Amino acid sequence: MLHLKYLVPLFLGTLVGLIGGALPGVTITMTIIIVLPFTFGLDPLQGLATMTGVYVGGSAGGAITAALIGIPGTPSAITTTFDGFPMTQKGQPGRAVWLGIWSSFLGGLLGGVFLIGATGPLAAIALEFGPWEYFSLFVFALSMVAGLTEASLLKGLLSGAIGLAITIIGSDPIMSVPRFTLGTEFLRNGFPFLPVLIGIFAFAQLMTDIEKMSAADRTSAPIKAPPLTVSHLKVLWEILSRPFLLLWSTLVGIVIGVLPAIGGSAATVMAYDQAKKFSRHPERFGKGNPEGIIASEASCNANVGGSLVTIMAFGIPGDAVTAVMLGAMTIHGIQSGPLFVSQHPQIAYGIYAAYLLAHPLMVLICALGAGLFLRVVTVPKSILIPNVLVLCVIGAYALNNIMDDVVVLLLFGLIGYALVKLRFPLAPLILGLILGDQIEVNLLRAIMSDANPWLFVTRPISGLLLALSVASVIFALWQHRRQKGRAKEVEQEPDF
Amino acid sequence: MSRDGIAGLICLALSIGLLVLSRGLPQSSFVPVGPDFYPRIVLVIMAVLSVMLLASDLWRQRTQSADADAGAEPAPEKRNYRLVGLTFAVFAGYVVLLPLLGYRLATFLFMVVLQAVIDPPRGARRWVMVMVSAFASAAITYAIFDHYLSVLLPRGHWTGW
Repeated sequence: MLHLKYLVPLFLGTLVGLIGGALPGVTITMTIIIVLPFTFGLDPLQGLATMTGVYVGGSAGGAITAALIGIPGTPSAITTTFDGFPMTQKGQPGRAVWLGIWSSFLGGLLGGVFLIGATGPLAAIALEFGPWEYFSLFVFALSMVAGLTEASLLKGLLSGAIGLAITIIGSDPIMSVPRFTLGTEFLRNGFPFLPVLIGIFAFAQLMTDIEKMSAADRTSAPIKAPPLTVSHLKVLWEILSRPFLLLWSTLVGIVIGVLPAIGGSAATVMAYDQAKKFSRHPERFGKGNPEGIIASEASCNANVGGSLVTIMAFGIPGDAVTAVMLGAMTIHGIQSGPLFVSQHPQIAYGIYAAYLLAHPLMVLICALGAGLFLRVVTVPKSILIPNVLVLCVIGAYALNNIMDDVVVLLLFGLIGYALVKLRFPLAPLILGLILGDQIEVNLLRAIMSDANPWLFVTRPISGLLLALSVASVIFALWQHRRQKGRAKEVEQEPDF
Repeated sequence: MSRDGIAGLICLALSIGLLVLSRGLPQSSFVPVGPDFYPRIVLVIMAVLSVMLLASDLWRQRTQSADADAGAEPAPEKRNYRLVGLTFAVFAGYVVLLPLLGYRLATFLFMVVLQAVIDPPRGARRWVMVMVSAFASAAITYAIFDHYLSVLLPRGHWTGW
């Protein structure tokens, strides 16, 4: 990884991630979608190093605009605005930004320790799984994500079912009989995953931004960056003198990251909330309290480590960013899952190294020009949006060099936007889309090994996972019922 | 009927349509389950969930109409759906023109039109800026992908370019 061949893509990925993360309206998912076509021509590790850099940089970049202008660059940085911006308003912009960056650095590195330590053992456990356990694990992941969404449980479950339904189009995995292909050769292999994913996420996000656009939003006035000079030792001490806060926020980030398809904003909101509850001065939160920034940013980057564990050990994406990474892996012929570390040790250790190296690179890039990111933030949306769409087209087209993939991109762009307007959560759909084939293959394998359907329940791990699936749905039902009286359903902004 | 009801109806129609199509799938005597086994499970689950969503929406409508005097809803935030429709239309045009005009020309036109749609240029200077940025985007992406990253971008059937 220390070879320039890998360091350069990692550096560029981290830089682009920081810029994308800092740009309000451009999420980490969008940044990784933009970067994706650039990685097709690279070797697998170069491509994954670039994406890891984007992921790490993007997770930290959101803090810069959150602290300096009070607008979160990414949804996960929302809690950083609560204390970062008031601190800037008090005349300490350097302290606000660097508390965020150093907390991201430390939380991310602690997340890295977990990534390296836990992936192997978790993958070893997963290696013992038979098709019954895999089937039940995927069902559990899907039921949990559907239950944890902010929208109604029914819509979460239906969104997951739509994702699964998309995967039944194409040849069946046993006899290769074409299903629902309407006689087209193109659909024999099913809908291509990445154009579907890019279409759903990119359009859902861009069109949601466009519909809120007023004339004033279309062009942006340049923002003058305030001086960010600060004593780094002082800032580091400010963080390290609160070891419990740092460790607890990191742990929250890791746990939320490990849970499938939940995303960074849940981690930061939960860590912020916990920090406030544990604090001796909760009344200071929201007024420029460093604890708020530390909790938010440490959990945000630790979440990245947790997400990478789930994808590397089980092949289940921790969030939308890792879903795109999973798609990129399959393009390079790499199957993620329990065999990933043993079958592709160079790539697995390369990802560990890229993850660890991306953190000091992120600090270095911020030291060189955090203030400059504010200039990039002022790129007019009339230029930004068409460019993003062109890169989405290249990303879809370059997979197989066929226009059909671009048509799929447009089709799922329309579907993604329609789903957002119908207030469907997108995370369960994406997880259903990713796990659909695996669920079918493992279900059929299990039935063909032994036709007794009770084995799904009587095998201990499989039975436990199915029981947890039921429990997660019941818990979600209870939670939604409890919250029902508190707030009416309002038009939620999609969380990417 | 609210958005939930409409969503439930669409999903129900889709799942029933696909369930009907699944009846025509050929069976094999070599394997215990046919190619329609898993799709039917998924589609039945989808249909049941759709019916539940539809029913819950109808139930909510009934109870809400009973409480209609509870107070007016706050006015929703104004949304620019016209711009969304135009953006989709311009993008669809780009997808159609891409294989006909080729990447370079179609991308240049797409960039010009979409920039003009999102932020209509006022004055010759703004138009020049739109043209320059469209040209730069088309040229730079073409150079990077076609020359450096070996991605063969579409050539035009009409232009051969």
